[in-house]
Amino acid sequence: MTIAGAVALAAMGLRRDFGGIHALDGVDLSVQAGERRAVIGPNGAGKTTLFNILTGELAPTAGTVRLGDRDVTGVGTSDLARLGLARMYQRNELFDRLPARENVALALAARPGPYRLTRAGGASERAQADAVLARVGLEGREAAAANALSHGERRQLELALALAQRPKVLLLDEPTAGMSPAETAAITKLIADLDRSLTLLIVEHDMDVVFRIADRITVLHEGKVIADGRPDEVRGDRLVNEVYLGRVLEA
Amino acid sequence: MSFDLVVQQALNGISFGALLFILAAGLSLIFGMMDVVNLAHGAFYMLGAYVALQLVQLTGQFWVAALVAPLVLAALGLVIEPLLLRRLRGRHLDQVLLTIGVSLVIVDLIGLVWGREVRTLPYPPGFDGSIAIGGSAYPVYRLFVIGFAILLAAVLYYVHRRTAIGAVIRAGVDDAPMLSALGVDTDRLFAITFAVGAGLAGLAGVMAAPAFGLQPGMDVDALIYSLIVIVVGGLGTLNGAGAGALLVGPADTFGKVLFPEFALALIFAIMALVLLGRPSGLFGRIRIGR
Amino acid sequence: MIAPLLAAAAFAALFTFPEWSGGLESARYMTTILRDMLVFAVFALSLDLLVGRAGLPSLGHAAFFGSGAYAAAIAAQSLRTDEIFVTLGAAMLTAAALALVIGLLSVRASGIFFLMLTLAFAQMVFAVAFQWTDVTGGSNGFAGVPRPTIFGLDTSAPEAMYRLVVVVFGLVALLVWWISRSHYGRALVGIRENERRMRALGYHARSLKLSVFVLAGALAGVAGALSAWSFGFVAPNDVGMGRSIEAFVMVLIGGAGTLLGPIVGAGAVLFIDRVLSSAIPFSQAVLGAVFVIFVLAARQGIVGWVRDTAVRVRG
Repeated sequence: MTIAGAVALAAMGLRRDFGGIHALDGVDLSVQAGERRAVIGPNGAGKTTLFNILTGELAPTAGTVRLGDRDVTGVGTSDLARLGLARMYQRNELFDRLPARENVALALAARPGPYRLTRAGGASERAQADAVLARVGLEGREAAAANALSHGERRQLELALALAQRPKVLLLDEPTAGMSPAETAAITKLIADLDRSLTLLIVEHDMDVVFRIADRITVLHEGKVIADGRPDEVRGDRLVNEVYLGRVLEA
Repeated sequence: MSFDLVVQQALNGISFGALLFILAAGLSLIFGMMDVVNLAHGAFYMLGAYVALQLVQLTGQFWVAALVAPLVLAALGLVIEPLLLRRLRGRHLDQVLLTIGVSLVIVDLIGLVWGREVRTLPYPPGFDGSIAIGGSAYPVYRLFVIGFAILLAAVLYYVHRRTAIGAVIRAGVDDAPMLSALGVDTDRLFAITFAVGAGLAGLAGVMAAPAFGLQPGMDVDALIYSLIVIVVGGLGTLNGAGAGALLVGPADTFGKVLFPEFALALIFAIMALVLLGRPSGLFGRIRIGR
Repeated sequence: MIAPLLAAAAFAALFTFPEWSGGLESARYMTTILRDMLVFAVFALSLDLLVGRAGLPSLGHAAFFGSGAYAAAIAAQSLRTDEIFVTLGAAMLTAAALALVIGLLSVRASGIFFLMLTLAFAQMVFAVAFQWTDVTGGSNGFAGVPRPTIFGLDTSAPEAMYRLVVVVFGLVALLVWWISRSHYGRALVGIRENERRMRALGYHARSLKLSVFVLAGALAGVAGALSAWSFGFVAPNDVGMGRSIEAFVMVLIGGAGTLLGPIVGAGAVLFIDRVLSSAIPFSQAVLGAVFVIFVLAARQGIVGWVRDTAVRVRG
């Protein structure tokens, strides 16, 4: 179910060169508000590059990016975050030595801004942070330092940080990376249960997760979009099968 | 400025650059291989000069001192690296801090042993005269320094480019963890690198002593200049040390002659500008994750 | 609840030191040492904001200490006033302005590069101080710095100067303590722990770093002014690398990122510099050796070590 007509995130003619290599070679992408889009493709297809451009950590060589009705091409990461875009990193970017609660508190405190001399860590802040942690299944682990958590728990915390920003668009970079089947199932459920007002863009390798969560799938190959459609459409697409999966999947 | 004066200052600049090269090569080598900015490099330089002074007083032979003093410094480096630096493997900032502490110890002990007055080291016999260049006399020793530096550069270049150990060093500068994974004993490699770097600093100290004398504070001057040279020329490469030295030496010399009040500030400004615009320097190689 | 009471008690004890130490033999000497220790504690506290809290390893902090000292001295002379608000204000403004310029150019770098940049800029300031003889007195330094007056109150007497230092120290310590508990302070810690994540959360990392750099610079300028008044003298060494390193050593040995750490560190270094140096001729070597040992074995400093031990004993 998507909110008809409203585009949450779009990329047009995105191009990114590294020396002589065309990591992205004219990518068009349009994600509706509330949609859940998965981006898949073999290694080297340009998924990470696309991701880094959408989150403002990399500038495109050519092309534009829009967030809602706003041109955000070349806008930096922190400004994009303030405009409602949050990111879950593939390799955890946590505050390892701080307790999980502090991690989330920092995320929550971003909106009002850091130039406040009022005391941090008050009761209401604790409550808010604990609520976010409970939402991702980290109840009871609030006081544990981030580096004392298990890998699965750290991924959960990584998601919590993104959610705490109360974003409109959430970009997830291989959310199930390095997880056991049980952990994968847990986090997939978490993501699937996220509110439908949140627009999701997921880069993933695990096809089960993709087909479970995605409304639409975009397939990248050698910097270009080779397929873009509903899961069953993409699944049956001949080119995708040849290029990506090497064989034809059962329909 | 008369032509004679220009030639003189140019030679001064080049001979100063020659000294800077010997000094900076060691610093660059250590940084390139180990990612450590050895802030004790000036102290090593200073110690080299004072050890040479002691040896000359003992043996009366400049050349003995010029040979032994760098070896003493290399031995010191061979002790310091495994004993202290190795324990902080991977903690680059802490390693830099550690070298600060080492520098404090060395400099104070030098003052304790040799006193804090200005001392001089006599020119080696045969090199204490002047030679006629253009219309005026120019100290032979400075020309010798230039020649020596060129010879040293040639030797270093040969070892670096054409020998097996050079290949190992080049690989280590490029990617030390990979080298370790390939089975090379990086512990020994790092210790030797640090020792060679320290030895080169000591050598620079010996060579500079007859021209510049020995006094408290010479470590700070040497450290600052060698930092500037490797930043400008390129962090971590021999080419960089050479390019930087050839630039900073004459620039400093001419700067002091043309606008003495601002010469010092000018050199620092150059360094800061390079760090801002091109952090890896003219010939350096920047690596991700530093 | 105990901590604020202890702090207030300590402050009161410090403030009244001349009174209750009057009977002791070397009271005058101890007052001087204590005074200098507190001046350096202010300096160290300001550096800790950078090193300990924000994770910015600055090796050029003496630039702000020294320029504050020079500014206080020069302002008193050229504006012909001893009024503290003018001279201290001049010190803070000068140091802050310098920190703004240097900070703008430096905070884009991090780690070793940041260290080298701050070192380079500080050496530039040193070069200027050393050679601008007309204004700074050059290598001879600036002598005859008058002690300030506060609303007509004179601070020339040793006890008065001491008490001024105690008050300023107390105010700075209070400010640093307040910051450490505030959102601003926590954001700085966030920058230190994971700058990339802070950016992704929406914080403007560079602005944050610049703000703390300027604040730390201004506070270092305050320490510089106190030093100028205490000694009546400012020298290029006050802007030199030795001074910057000294401050760094204080922060590390005492314990970076803590409130007591820089204070303890200042005490330790001053003890070695003043007391030990009269007993042995190699006190700087001792300082260097102590520093090396701490970097190797007690990176968290004295206060950090005590804290860790307490946690271990308790748990």
